Amino acid sequence: MTPLPLLLVLLCVSGSGQDGAQGDVEFERDVRPLLAVRCFGCHGPEKQKSSLRLDRRAAALRGGDSGEPALVPGDGTASRLIELVSGADPLSVMPPQGERLSVDEVALLRRWIDEGASWGDAEAEPAAGLRWSLLPLVRPEPPAITRASWEHPLDRFVLAGLASAGLEPSAEAERATLIRRMSLILCGLPPAPEHVQAFVADPRPDAYEQLVTRLLESPSYGERWARHWLDLARFAETDGFETNTPRPNAWRYRDYVIRAFNDDIPYDQFVLQQLAGDAVGEDVATGFLVGGPYDTVLSPDMVLTRQQRQDELADMVNTTTTAFLGLTLACARCHDHKFDPITQTDYYAVQSLFAGVRHGERPLPSADDSAPVQRDADVERERAGLRSAVNPRLNEEAFAPVATERIRFRVLRTNSASEPCLDELEVFVDGVNVAPLATIATSGDYGGDPQHQRVHLNDGVYGNGRSWISDTPGAGWVMLELAGPARVDRINWGRDREGVYTDRLATEYIIEVADDAGAWTTVATSEGRSPLRDEAAELAQLPHVYAGHFEEPAPTHRLYRGDPMSEREIVAPDVPRVFASLALAADAPERERRLALARWLCDRNNPLTARVIVNRIWMHHFGEGLVDTPSDFGAMGSAPSHPELLDWLAVELIDSGWSLKHVQRLIVSSRTWRQSSRPNDAGLAQDSSARLLWRFPPRRMEAEYLRDAILAVAGTLDAESSGPGFSTFEPNDNYVRVYTPKNELGPDTWRRMIYMTKVRMERDDTFGVFDIPDAGQVCPERARSTTALQALNLFNSGFVLEQAQRFAVRLMHDAGNDPRAQIERAFHLSFGRAPEPEERAAALALVGEHGLPALCRALFNANELAFVP
Amino acid sequence: MLLGRRRFLGHLGSGLAGIALQRLLADDGPIRPKIVGSAPLAPRPPHFAPRAKRVVMIFCSGACSQLDTWDYKPELIKRHGEPLPGGEALVTFQGEQGALTQSPYTFRPRGECGKHTSDLLPRLGALVDDMCFIHSMTSKTNTHGPGENFMSTGFTLGGFPSMGAWVSYALGSENEELPAFVALPDPRGVPQSSVNDWGNGFLPAAFQGTPLNALGPVRHLASPVGSSATTETATRRFIERLNARHLERFPGDNELGARIASYELAARMQLSVPSATDLGAESAATLHEYGADDPDAVRAGFARNCILARRLVERGVRFVQLFNGAYAMGEGVGNWDGHKSLKEQYDVHGPILDRPAAALLTDLKRRGLLADTLFVWTTEFGRMPTFQKGASGRDHNPRGFTTWLAGAGVKAPFSYGATDEFGYAAVEKPTTVYDFHATILHLLGLYHERLSYYHNGIERRLTDVHGHVIEDILA
Repeated sequence: MTPLPLLLVLLCVSGSGQDGAQGDVEFERDVRPLLAVRCFGCHGPEKQKSSLRLDRRAAALRGGDSGEPALVPGDGTASRLIELVSGADPLSVMPPQGERLSVDEVALLRRWIDEGASWGDAEAEPAAGLRWSLLPLVRPEPPAITRASWEHPLDRFVLAGLASAGLEPSAEAERATLIRRMSLILCGLPPAPEHVQAFVADPRPDAYEQLVTRLLESPSYGERWARHWLDLARFAETDGFETNTPRPNAWRYRDYVIRAFNDDIPYDQFVLQQLAGDAVGEDVATGFLVGGPYDTVLSPDMVLTRQQRQDELADMVNTTTTAFLGLTLACARCHDHKFDPITQTDYYAVQSLFAGVRHGERPLPSADDSAPVQRDADVERERAGLRSAVNPRLNEEAFAPVATERIRFRVLRTNSASEPCLDELEVFVDGVNVAPLATIATSGDYGGDPQHQRVHLNDGVYGNGRSWISDTPGAGWVMLELAGPARVDRINWGRDREGVYTDRLATEYIIEVADDAGAWTTVATSEGRSPLRDEAAELAQLPHVYAGHFEEPAPTHRLYRGDPMSEREIVAPDVPRVFASLALAADAPERERRLALARWLCDRNNPLTARVIVNRIWMHHFGEGLVDTPSDFGAMGSAPSHPELLDWLAVELIDSGWSLKHVQRLIVSSRTWRQSSRPNDAGLAQDSSARLLWRFPPRRMEAEYLRDAILAVAGTLDAESSGPGFSTFEPNDNYVRVYTPKNELGPDTWRRMIYMTKVRMERDDTFGVFDIPDAGQVCPERARSTTALQALNLFNSGFVLEQAQRFAVRLMHDAGNDPRAQIERAFHLSFGRAPEPEERAAALALVGEHGLPALCRALFNANELAFVP
Repeated sequence: MLLGRRRFLGHLGSGLAGIALQRLLADDGPIRPKIVGSAPLAPRPPHFAPRAKRVVMIFCSGACSQLDTWDYKPELIKRHGEPLPGGEALVTFQGEQGALTQSPYTFRPRGECGKHTSDLLPRLGALVDDMCFIHSMTSKTNTHGPGENFMSTGFTLGGFPSMGAWVSYALGSENEELPAFVALPDPRGVPQSSVNDWGNGFLPAAFQGTPLNALGPVRHLASPVGSSATTETATRRFIERLNARHLERFPGDNELGARIASYELAARMQLSVPSATDLGAESAATLHEYGADDPDAVRAGFARNCILARRLVERGVRFVQLFNGAYAMGEGVGNWDGHKSLKEQYDVHGPILDRPAAALLTDLKRRGLLADTLFVWTTEFGRMPTFQKGASGRDHNPRGFTTWLAGAGVKAPFSYGATDEFGYAAVEKPTTVYDFHATILHLLGLYHERLSYYHNGIERRLTDVHGHVIEDILA
């Protein structure tokens, strides 16, 4: 279309807009027939090309895959529909085939939109996608008590579900089973035989409650439940991608999570700390934000760099919304969500909440402020007539005014062996920085890194991410050529004004200016400065944590089809519209964004936060959640098996002050949980997976449990908690790391598996095949597969064989040389029970002919060891 | 309360029931294979009659240059030494461009079809009549890690199932005593994305690729040293008795039954895997044909992997992925990442690949296996027609590269799509990795848009929400 007809259209429309005499456009009479004939074929009830549907108002407002609304009520000109049918863009005209819309037809549509795009009566559609999970939380009234001892509200909800299916609950499990089940689920370890016997014989009326308390207070509780949370946080101690470089200080976050569970930090605080721990004195907790993979391979290619950043942010958005809200926002990165009321704009609004979060370590604030000591030292040096040492952040070099056009900063030595770095060089004339207008020459630039470019020296942006690095270790120069001669009297320079980096700092340097003839005169040097305290070393001695760092971000744009090079309008940080608005400005301070998100998540009126976490807890007890899609509470997820119970538990959590241990106690104390796991025909026939909980559903435990249990039973488990982890891979410092399993796993690897250094992608040689997540993405629920490779690993691996030997040694120590006593002890340690006569006989035969280690190896492979009873 | 008709229909349209119904009616919804816990690798039917039953793939890690192998560009030879038009503004992975540079390897017409390929890979070149080239491949990234992820899993990020995992999830195995999906890393080490290339992502662990090669067997396959066969058997019998007693208390529990079955299968694998991987039965002529008798350990090692690939295919392994190139040795030294001194490095890598790969293709054909086996040669992306500024090698180039297929269901000899006159960017029938994957699944009788696994709220596919079967190359 040529500009002229477009102009005519505009004129026509503006004319008709003023001419009220034509009367209002009526949707049914004027618009629907036009759309039906020209558009509905591809964008109607049958087909929705590009996911666009024009026969419903809500769908049209939402638009198609492009993320642009098709209609903007009241503004025809801004509406994508008009843009396309009018042919404003000759490359995308609708309809794509057949005759174009006439000028009158376009004008009609435009006027209809200008008048509000009314759909008439047809507008009364149900609010699509508003599901049970978004309805406000209210505590439901539990059903009446119908069975003695099933009086707790939790049990009454379950019993009502069973009754409606004509099912009966199972009897209570035996005490030996209950203590085993509870130890496995709460602490991830089999109970010691002494504990089993004591509990079975405990005459106290509150013996069960005492057991619950003891296990919830055990440090093992946090070591078990932290694992579930770390799966969600896609926590690993390496970067992933091709280099897969270790993060030696990531373990602190793992310890934080263990501590949080053990101390029963209220869940709302736990959420807040992980999103904004830097604001509440819990710095380690933000390890959550940067727990995911990080592509450290940089390139000067801008497209790649932006794509990498988008991927990092997508990881943060997906993990956070999945973990806390049970919602998948991933697909809205490129287009509006197909099933849930989440628009592409919503995605970028959430992304903007994290726009200032960067991967990396930061020093932990030290408990005692050592700054005064440093000041004392500085005072002492100044008394000795020395200038202060160079400062990685900022150094001011004042001198008598000198007329020049060219200033040169020569670095002669740095505090690290590496190439010097300057983040900004400022040149002052009467207090005004004239450097931004200067042109820059250098001795040579560090190749291949978009963060370090010479143009960053005078771009007014501070920090390592916008700095210059020389191409020569320990040396290099920068020359500024000013826009014209000026009387310069001060130079400011720094290595990283954000204070994150202290390496690559110039410790010996000369600053020179050129006169008209081109001769250089020194105006400032490092001479006379007191020697640099080795701040890098001092800082390195401060504890660091891989918990990210934060910077004030540039505005976030919606990206057309998710393409980082196709920026559209600016999107302010916010949560998805369907919930609320955080009312933040597009340039809201970085930390304020994360705090606002955390506050909204922890508001008791948030319909999802409490529902999602109590469902996760329930899932780890019963194998399936009340909602069996634990990270999809959206339209594609399942409805809860017991919706009222879920809501009741969620309200209970909030009312308890967000105490997760309170919910744990409620669940394990319930009659539902205490049922036997033995099957019965009626139950199996009606509800084979026991979703209705006519029995306690037994299941295989996770990899970590298997390894821990083998060590515990063998008596070799090293109880050391917290601190840096142990590795089952050979050390290696290739640029691209190679993870070769160690052949010998000594006692330093016999700690609980949660302390095994978690390598992204690579899995432990023996236990990795038991569905350990690779930490590439948030993992709310592990697969539970059964494979021959698992059997081979448990039957033949060096780890298991060695532990079988150790177990045999333990048995001889505990039970002496009598094979009967050894077997008795072995069964009690492994299964918490005595062998049955037939088992005893078979075991005697095995030990007699093939030795005690053969029995030990067999017990480690038995189903009974691997299953929650 | 009865729902009014309108509300009822409303529910149908928007609720879960509606989605299920629509899918049934339209019959184009997701297909999630039903996995039996006790036999996750049991064979499962494809969605429609397949052309190929299995896949052998050679993945050249490090981005093997199209310009020095398969993509013949006379114009590049003619304009050798001139700047690439528009090249001065181009910033690629490592930075700025030098001049257009012809391949150090001569291209000549080969086979009956007379297709030009380079002297770098003469034995493979001699088989051009069996090959179906796609010269217009494109990638989404120019970094190896994400690039390998993308080619192997359809996503640049980690955490997604690999192609072989998808295929074994869909089809199971023809031989339950061997893994359905075997990855054979290069004798020099693992590729850049390592286990991501054969990982199961969020699929159950049963579908991950089992890494093995002719030198290193399946982990923990062998019985412990010093343990007699009778001890092994007696220990296994004892476990069976314990498990049988335990199962009596939980009759009909699938997971317990599956675990018992897994121990039986493990015992059978202890016999079947060594017999599959033992090359002792291969004749001296065969060993020589593949180059397994080469004095060079790496060449001989890759040759042994190629023989192993054929033995696995013969035994019904569904997906065999051979890697050529490894990363531990650094850029270009042990792989195809020829940035700095391409000729020097490719002179090493070419012969490692050429003879064994050509022998494998020939052998499969001779034994009739190519009739229902799809042979695939690929790499993660291409390289620039220029040399890098100040270097004698080519930088990364995701805008155009070549892959080829052979065997079941593809046209041969055939060439599809094209890059521009210098071999830089795909201009004719640009093809995505999604299209490539869609075509492989199609040849296996699978709808790439329907084969899915529900994960975290999304019906996941190998091809994400993209991909078109390349109909033009189907025989």
